Amino acid sequence: MNRPQERGITTRDVVLVALFAAIIVALGLVPPITVGIVPVPITLQTLGVMLAGAVLGPVRGALACGLVVLLTAVGLPVLAGGRGGLGVFAGPTGGYLVGWIPGALVTGLMVKYWAAKLTRGWAKAGAILAACVAGGIVVVYALGIPWLSVSSGLPLREAALGGMVFVPGDLIKAVAAALVAHGVARSYSMELK
Amino acid sequence: MTAPAGPAPGSAAEERPGAAEPPAPVIELQGVGVGYDGRTVLSGLDLRLAERRIGVIGQNGSGKSTLARLLNGLVVPDEGRVLVDGRDTRTEGRRVRSEVGFVFQNPDNQIVFPIVAEDMAFGLKNLGLPKKEIPGRVAGALESFGIGHLAERHSHLLSGGEKQLVALASVMVMRPRTVVFDEPTTLLDLRNRNRIRDAVDAMAPAAVVVTHDLELVSGYDRVLVVHDGGIAFDGAPGEAVAWYREHCS
Amino acid sequence: MNTSLYVPGNTPLHRLPAGAKFGVLFAAGIGLFLLAHPGVLGAAAAVAAVLVLSARAPLAALRARLLPVGVMLAVLFAATALLQDVPAAVVMLLRLAALILLALAVTLTTRPADLLEFFERLTAPLARVGVADPERISLGVSLVLRFVPEVFRRFQEIREAQAARGLKANPVALLVPLIVRTLKAADDVADAIDARCYPPPRRPSGGARTEENPT
Repeated sequence: MNRPQERGITTRDVVLVALFAAIIVALGLVPPITVGIVPVPITLQTLGVMLAGAVLGPVRGALACGLVVLLTAVGLPVLAGGRGGLGVFAGPTGGYLVGWIPGALVTGLMVKYWAAKLTRGWAKAGAILAACVAGGIVVVYALGIPWLSVSSGLPLREAALGGMVFVPGDLIKAVAAALVAHGVARSYSMELK
Repeated sequence: MTAPAGPAPGSAAEERPGAAEPPAPVIELQGVGVGYDGRTVLSGLDLRLAERRIGVIGQNGSGKSTLARLLNGLVVPDEGRVLVDGRDTRTEGRRVRSEVGFVFQNPDNQIVFPIVAEDMAFGLKNLGLPKKEIPGRVAGALESFGIGHLAERHSHLLSGGEKQLVALASVMVMRPRTVVFDEPTTLLDLRNRNRIRDAVDAMAPAAVVVTHDLELVSGYDRVLVVHDGGIAFDGAPGEAVAWYREHCS
Repeated sequence: MNTSLYVPGNTPLHRLPAGAKFGVLFAAGIGLFLLAHPGVLGAAAAVAAVLVLSARAPLAALRARLLPVGVMLAVLFAATALLQDVPAAVVMLLRLAALILLALAVTLTTRPADLLEFFERLTAPLARVGVADPERISLGVSLVLRFVPEVFRRFQEIREAQAARGLKANPVALLVPLIVRTLKAADDVADAIDARCYPPPRRPSGGARTEENPT
């Protein structure tokens, strides 16, 4: 079916970006869930970041995260636990938040140009998992840890060690994100952008 | 054909039910065909729509929603063309949409701003209306539907019936010359369905109403039955409904 | 959700333009990291605390904002004191406290709409070369605020439906239908926006507005 569209970013893209940002914000409203054997309750918000890249694709995924970051900056309580405002950026965890944007971009790029081209189910799910780990953990930490180090004055090595506390929880989220993204792709096919 | 006389700027006449009725624009479909995923949805349509109240009925999946979206250029045909007062929806879609409003089945997806008054103002901003004229137009349109008290309310806290009225008002505030409705009453209870029916019957612009609600179209000027990707019947409401009951139930 | 962290008022900080407040905050952010004298940093933190109090925000709101930050700073203080030494931990604590309190003072006294407008002006050069489109950004912001409650409602509906079938809360089983439903809704929302003549006509910068390209 023909839909008249402007080139580049369409109205539908703007809507997808905004609705996914709304999903990320709404996931921050969900009470933390404990998963199986791991005693640490996880908030679902960073799961949404991995999903943004994996479901929408690199550009739209990064824009969705950028929109959440913008809303945080203008003082809306969009982060888990009702946090928001410029203080988040001034604080030691600001880098993780800003890291969402390139994180979703990298996850999206890997899913679009690698995972989506695989045909076997398990290979595809594995590739999406790798994309979620690379974007949602490696890239996010790559901004988060130096930011933590600069902001707190801790040497980089110590800051990195401290950051490792969150790796188990984030790995669980990456697995969940991969399963969700795989499930979504099977019931709703959409071009990644 | 009379030249299309645009609505006089600054007058609130079009919003008042029963006010002077502007002529309905002429919508022409010429050899229109639409496909989706390699499947034909509509084909070989030749239609000329100029009546003030037109109903469109048909089974689920018959293509009537697609037909509705062809009329304002939300969907452009794969074959043939759609002209609204001579303007091709393919090349002048935005201009066509400023004259042909559209009310969707689910107002949840049609109201796009968090506050009712902001949502009402959205279409007017898109028309390029000067900022200082917008609040007056918005208030007038809400009043004409008896929902002035909703102006500052949060969209997501409205009831289903209120949402559909806001969705309708947000289209009417743009003063279209005709309004296309895609199953406007399907999600409503009987009382709210009657409110929407009365609002549609009373409004000044022409209307094309796609619906499963056969009673809704009983007083209309013309009713089309969409079946198997084409117009299977085209005539007076009584005969069209009878044909539909006989062939499609 | 639609309630922001902004607290209405008419204090001197409220009256200051958003751009000025943001500029001071930005400069302070750089300045505080160049300084390492505990006395100076302590004075900066005290000034920041006075500015926060001058916003006349309800104490309950302040406590809600500051308690999580306090816990985080306490953990960081302990870590730094253990891994380095106490003076370094004091410098870190005072510096971050000053910066976070200053940022809080800006957030408490600046309307989100004003900050958004300021950011729009800041990115105007990007908009001119077509990288950012203020029109789309403000539509995106409105759509997020509009649809957070809807998404959250859908989330709860799905959870209740699954609980009614005896299923335990499972993020994967919850999120797949939530996202699929939301993606499907996006088509309708986009149609509804286009149907109301979006985008608005461009400012008269290049003559007549061009129509969308024929596909």
